[in-house]
Amino acid sequence: MRTLGKLCVLLLMVSTAGLAQETTSADQAQLLKSLVERVNALEQEVQQLKEQNRQLQNQPAPPATPAQTAAAPSTTNPVVTTAVQQAVHDHTAAELPEVNESYPNLKIRGFANIDYSETDTKTQPSGFTMGQFVLHFSSALSRKTSFFGELSFTAQQSNYSADVERAIIRYDLNDHLKVSFGRYHTPINYWNTAFHHGAWLQTTISRPEMIRFGGRFLPVHFVGALAEGTIPSGPLGLNYNFGVGNGRQSITLLSRDGDPGDVNGSRAIVGSVFARPASIEGLQFGGAFYKDKISPDANSVTQSRFNEWIASGHIAYERESPEILAEFSHVRHNDILTGRTWDSQGAYAQVAYRLPWANKKFKPYYRFEYIHIPGGEPVLLIPELKAGHTLGTRYDITDFAAFKVEYRNWRRDIPADRWNGFFAQTAFTF
Amino acid sequence: MKTLRIILISILLSAAALHAQSSKGGDIAVVVHPDTPVSDLNMADVRKVFLGERQYWNSKLPVILLVRAPVAREREIVLRTIYKMTESQFKQFWVAKIFRSEAVSAPKIVYSTDMTQQIVSAVPGSIAFMDAKAVGPGLKVVKVDGLLPGEPGYPLR
Repeated sequence: MRTLGKLCVLLLMVSTAGLAQETTSADQAQLLKSLVERVNALEQEVQQLKEQNRQLQNQPAPPATPAQTAAAPSTTNPVVTTAVQQAVHDHTAAELPEVNESYPNLKIRGFANIDYSETDTKTQPSGFTMGQFVLHFSSALSRKTSFFGELSFTAQQSNYSADVERAIIRYDLNDHLKVSFGRYHTPINYWNTAFHHGAWLQTTISRPEMIRFGGRFLPVHFVGALAEGTIPSGPLGLNYNFGVGNGRQSITLLSRDGDPGDVNGSRAIVGSVFARPASIEGLQFGGAFYKDKISPDANSVTQSRFNEWIASGHIAYERESPEILAEFSHVRHNDILTGRTWDSQGAYAQVAYRLPWANKKFKPYYRFEYIHIPGGEPVLLIPELKAGHTLGTRYDITDFAAFKVEYRNWRRDIPADRWNGFFAQTAFTF
Repeated sequence: MKTLRIILISILLSAAALHAQSSKGGDIAVVVHPDTPVSDLNMADVRKVFLGERQYWNSKLPVILLVRAPVAREREIVLRTIYKMTESQFKQFWVAKIFRSEAVSAPKIVYSTDMTQQIVSAVPGSIAFMDAKAVGPGLKVVKVDGLLPGEPGYPLR
C-alpha cells in the first residue's frame, strides 16, 4: 500500500513536471506573439509619425521674422532635414542585405552520416563505418549566374578519398532556359538527382541498388553541358533537361565518368521530361533517356564497341504522409560488331508514412527492389537476378538530424546467395 | 440536469472563445514591388512562386522571396495555405531545394511589417505577404484568384 502511494506521488510529480513544461512552452509562444504584435503596433505608430512629419514639411513655411532669421537661417532646416533623411535611408539600406546584394555570396552546408551494420554474410561489411562527409557549396555570382558544388570525403582502408561530386556553373536566361556546364548527377534517375550524397535527405539508410554509388547499372555522373527549364504547359507543370557530355569511361572503368575526357570521341546524350501538376502538390512523374557508345577500355580510343541506350520512368509523391517513390530503368547494350543485344531491367518501389503521433518524428518505410541482368552481358559484366526487401523507420531527432534503423533481406540467384542484415544510421546536416 | 446544463454552457463558451481567437486578424495581402509585371495571380501561381518553381518574373527580373520570421501570423498563414508544410518541413524543404541546385538561397527573412514594407518598396522583383491593413504607399497589392484582400472569398486569411 505504501509502495502504491509512492508510485502515485511519483506519477503525480512526473505529470506535473510535464504539465509545467507544456505551460512554459505555451507561455513563451504567447509572449513571442505578444511581442510581435507590439512591434507591429509600434511600427504603425512610426508610420503615423512619419506621415505627420511629411505633412508638416509640405506645409508652406510662415514668413520668418528678423529674430528668427538671426537665430536660425531659413536655408539650414531643409538641408539638415534632407541630410538626416538621407542618413536614415542609408542606415536602413545598410541594414537590409537584400538591398545591397553582393556577389559572390558563398554559402556552405555540410552533410554527414555514421553507420552501423550487422549481417549474416561475409560478403557484406559489419560494424561501425564512417559514412560520407559532404560539403555543399552554393554561390550566386550575379543575379542570373550561380555556382553549385559538392565535395565528398569517403573513408577508405588507409585514408579518406576526396571527390568532386558536382561542380556546376549555371546561367539563367529565364525560367524556360537555364544553361549549365560541369559535373552532374545524371538526370536519368529521380533518386540520383533528388538526394545526391546527403544521406539525411533520403528517408532510408541505403540507396536503391540500381543507382548505388560505385555501381555499374546506371551512369551516376555526367560531365558536360545541360539545358533545363520549364515548358509552358499550364497546370501540368512540365519541365525538361537535355544534356550532352562524356558519359561513362569504358567497360573496365564503367562506374567512373569521363572527367578527363571522352575516351571514344562519342558524346553521351541525356534528356528527360517530367511533370509537377499544380493540382496534386508533391507529385512528380516523368521519363528520361540516355544514349552513349562504350569502349572496352581506355586504350581503345577509336573503338566504340557497344551502343548503350537507357530508358527510365519515375513517379514520386513526396508528401510525408505518404511518401511514394517508384522507378524503372531499362538498359540495352548492343554489340556493334556482332549485332547482338542484351536487355537488363532495374526497378524499385518505396513507401513511407510519417506517423501522426510523437510529434510526427517517426517515419516507417518499406522498399522492394529488383535487378535483372542476363547471362553474358558484356558491359555490366555480372549476370544477376537480385530481389531485395528493406524495412525500417526514420526518427527525426531534430529538424536537421535523424536516426534510422533498417532490416534488409537480399536474394541473388547467380551465384546463389541470400543474406539478412540490420543497419543503423545517424545522418544530419549542419 | 443542472450539471449537464453547466457543462453544455461551458462547451459553448469555449467554442465561442476559440472561434474568436482563430478569426483574429485580417486578410493577408500579397505585395510586390510596383515595377513587377504582375497584378493578378491564382493560388497555383502563388504557390509556384513561393515554392521556387517560378524564379523569374521576366528575363530581366528575378523573383526575390520574402517570408516573415517564425511566430508571425503572416508566416503561419503562408505555411498553412501556400506551402502546406509545418515549420520543420519548410526548413527541410529549402535545404533540399538548394542541395538539388534548384535554388541558390532560401527566402529572405523579414522581421517586421515595417521591414517588409521597406524591402518590397526598394527591391525590384520582391514579393511578400503582409497584413492588408498595414500596406503602405510604394507597394502593389496583387489579386489572388481575381480577389483583393477584404473581398468575399479571398483565400489568404
